[in-house]
Amino acid sequence: MRRHLRLYVTAARFDLVEHARNRLAMVLVALFIPSWISLAYAVIPSRPVAFRLRATGRLLAPAGDQITQITGAINAVTLITGFMMFAVTFSGGRFDRRLAMAGYPRIHLVLAKTTSLTLASGTIAAYATAVICTAWSPRQPVQLAAALFCGAMTYGALGVVFGSLLRREVEGMFALVMTSLVDVGLQNPLASGGTKSAAVQFLPTYGTMQAATAAGFTHTPLPSGLAVQILWFAGAALLGLLAFHRRTKDALTTRPPLRLPWPPRHRQPAPPGRATSTPR
Amino acid sequence: MRHAYGRREVLRGLQLDLRPGVLAGIVGENGAGKSTLLKILSGELRPQCGTVRHGDRFGYCPQDVVVNDALTVRQHLELFRVARGLSDLRHAGEVMEVLRLSEYADERAGQLSGGTRQKLNLTLALMHDPQVLLLDEPYQGFDWETYQRFWDLAARLRDAGRSVLVVSHLAYDAERLDELWRLQGGVLHPATAVSA
Repeated sequence: MRRHLRLYVTAARFDLVEHARNRLAMVLVALFIPSWISLAYAVIPSRPVAFRLRATGRLLAPAGDQITQITGAINAVTLITGFMMFAVTFSGGRFDRRLAMAGYPRIHLVLAKTTSLTLASGTIAAYATAVICTAWSPRQPVQLAAALFCGAMTYGALGVVFGSLLRREVEGMFALVMTSLVDVGLQNPLASGGTKSAAVQFLPTYGTMQAATAAGFTHTPLPSGLAVQILWFAGAALLGLLAFHRRTKDALTTRPPLRLPWPPRHRQPAPPGRATSTPR
Repeated sequence: MRHAYGRREVLRGLQLDLRPGVLAGIVGENGAGKSTLLKILSGELRPQCGTVRHGDRFGYCPQDVVVNDALTVRQHLELFRVARGLSDLRHAGEVMEVLRLSEYADERAGQLSGGTRQKLNLTLALMHDPQVLLLDEPYQGFDWETYQRFWDLAARLRDAGRSVLVVSHLAYDAERLDELWRLQGGVLHPATAVSA
């Protein structure tokens, strides 16, 4: 038991150290979140934006600057956690494999990464909620923070997937930004006016958007929105887990995949060469 | 074993038996399949045909430096100490002394020079005193003094009964090796030449 705890604590500690040394992410957390949320409040007019919240069917008419702060916060927290997890996954893939092949149990590495993602998402979601609360008073700040947290976790897991599958850093950043652009852009009530299209239900932060909007402007708890978001997180995390498993597997200890009993031959094979060493 | 990348067959049926107490080398031109062979021997890659058996624990030093730029040298050692279940870092300390890496213990890997990063790369492969050592171009970026110390270390390990396999595109140090093979055409041939 102590060995498992030591493995987990050591991996989690160094994972957090790695995140803390990602200076760009730290600057984004410290400056981008308050700047973006404050700018949205200052620039967007406060006239009411009427739309129907899909999850409850209720007609809402929040101030334009307030609803934009919420969509802006979702945008900011998801992109930052997505970027953080993408960066460590992309740059650390071969190192994780080396660690796993040196004997580090992969389950402890995965738990450590999940822990650091959870801590980062929790901190960033709480920070973004606090910034919003300085401008106005959302009806349910705890639900708002929970919705942002679940969205951040989902994009963190997507960052792991992109970091595992894509071969160039720019591809990953582009994939994250474009996903967020489509995801939040289509759901933004200011742009879509609360679209009636059912397609928005399948967007990665649909649950977060519904729960966060309900938290901002109603007293109705919306656990179903959080549940949908947790499902999205679970799906993305499963994909990330499979990618991690594939990248870190040891060919000496795992069973070979089903293959033809003969190797592919495109030319005449050479006779097997034998090299045997003799001790001095 | 045999292995191909798409239609290009890199290893065309070779057998390799590395015994204890031997310092062996494999040379070959760029793209001959040396790194593929070591990746297969270390478990990074599965051969399309054939098997690999290790009698005991082994250490693998990959050709590219595989370290975490955000962590210090000391943090790397701690992480791998826990991974390998070592009670202390005594052997790692000895290797670091030989390679003159100890003075960089608190430096982050991302801030080290190329040669010093390679010293860390090598130390991570040797720190658990493995019975079998698989080293892919292990002295890249070393200055002359460190290069000499590396060979002294390799000879000491061989004398202590370890199996050491060094893969390189050059065979300048053939006289330091007990055995030298050339990887050509996907198979191993005995070699004695000084340059590949």
